[in-house]
Amino acid sequence: MTIRHLRDDELDLALTGETLPAEVAEHLASCLVCRRRRDGFVAAVNGARGADPDDATRRRVREGALSAWGGTSRRRHWARWVAAAAAVVVLSLVPLLRSHTVTPKLNTDAVLVEVDAVLAQDPLSAVAPEDVVNTIVPAPVEAGEGS
Amino acid sequence: MASVARRETPLGHEDERELVELARGGDRDAAGTLLERHELLLFRTCRRLLPQGEDLEGAVQETMLRALRSLAGFTGEGNFAGWLAAIAVNLCRDKLRRRRLVPFLPLETPDEDDPDPLDFLPSSEPSPDRVAMAREAVAAMRCEVARLPRRQREVFALRFFTGLDLEGIAGALSVEIGTVKTHLHRAVHRVRAAVEEAKP
Repeated sequence: MTIRHLRDDELDLALTGETLPAEVAEHLASCLVCRRRRDGFVAAVNGARGADPDDATRRRVREGALSAWGGTSRRRHWARWVAAAAAVVVLSLVPLLRSHTVTPKLNTDAVLVEVDAVLAQDPLSAVAPEDVVNTIVPAPVEAGEGS
Repeated sequence: MASVARRETPLGHEDERELVELARGGDRDAAGTLLERHELLLFRTCRRLLPQGEDLEGAVQETMLRALRSLAGFTGEGNFAGWLAAIAVNLCRDKLRRRRLVPFLPLETPDEDDPDPLDFLPSSEPSPDRVAMAREAVAAMRCEVARLPRRQREVFALRFFTGLDLEGIAGALSVEIGTVKTHLHRAVHRVRAAVEEAKP
């Protein structure tokens, strides 16, 4: 009786995790030579994969990404609610505080009387200096002058 | 080979979908849980698709940030691990394209923190011959993987170095599962032959 070991293509199937024909799978399970070929490849894969980063490195990288992204922590949610409630309380107290402050009353009637008096004298002088007024509105020329 | 996503996703897809929804709404804790669950996948993907010396942590962090900012683009129908891996693969491609580097896996200068290949051999008697053979096999694998065509290299790395399943790889590379299988078989055939040649 001759033993037929796995052909290369059958071993490749086994390595990629594909389903093997029953007799091939059976042979692989019982044949030391074929198992060594498979295990040798798996060992090389594990060796070539390299070591994974430690927990501290993983955490640092993750936290860096999260910080750059932003987002909101659930703990921060609570802090925000507390801050919002405090802001509402303060804002609701503002009108009460304002009602106690004394604001000087403006005598608008007196101001209006003063403005009316100035405008009655010379409307332009209320808004521009005298030389500007003279330039815009020259003084009337008296009769006989300059003829 | 068990997938990373499965090993680290004990709560399943429904829970994951809920986390994605929360994260979309800006929930930092949910986003953190999602990242924590899949970060090894991202580290392994970037590590094997970027050349040695590239800022691995920066690449992973950038991948995470891109993922968080584009959560709205995840429909929830596919494999979340595959969706994340797609972002990592695209980022690695961008980096390689920008720098016009030919990606390679370290051949003679393995990372200092790499485990000894002998740790994975079944026997506990590491004779000098076995030590040399195991190291040569690992070196041969890295070298051959680096020589693979880009798509085969990506499929091989995602399957064997990150442990993503075929569906996840298909999602990550935006190809059909049949295409993934084809590339994987070709890659495995080449890499296995190189490994066996290295340790006759």
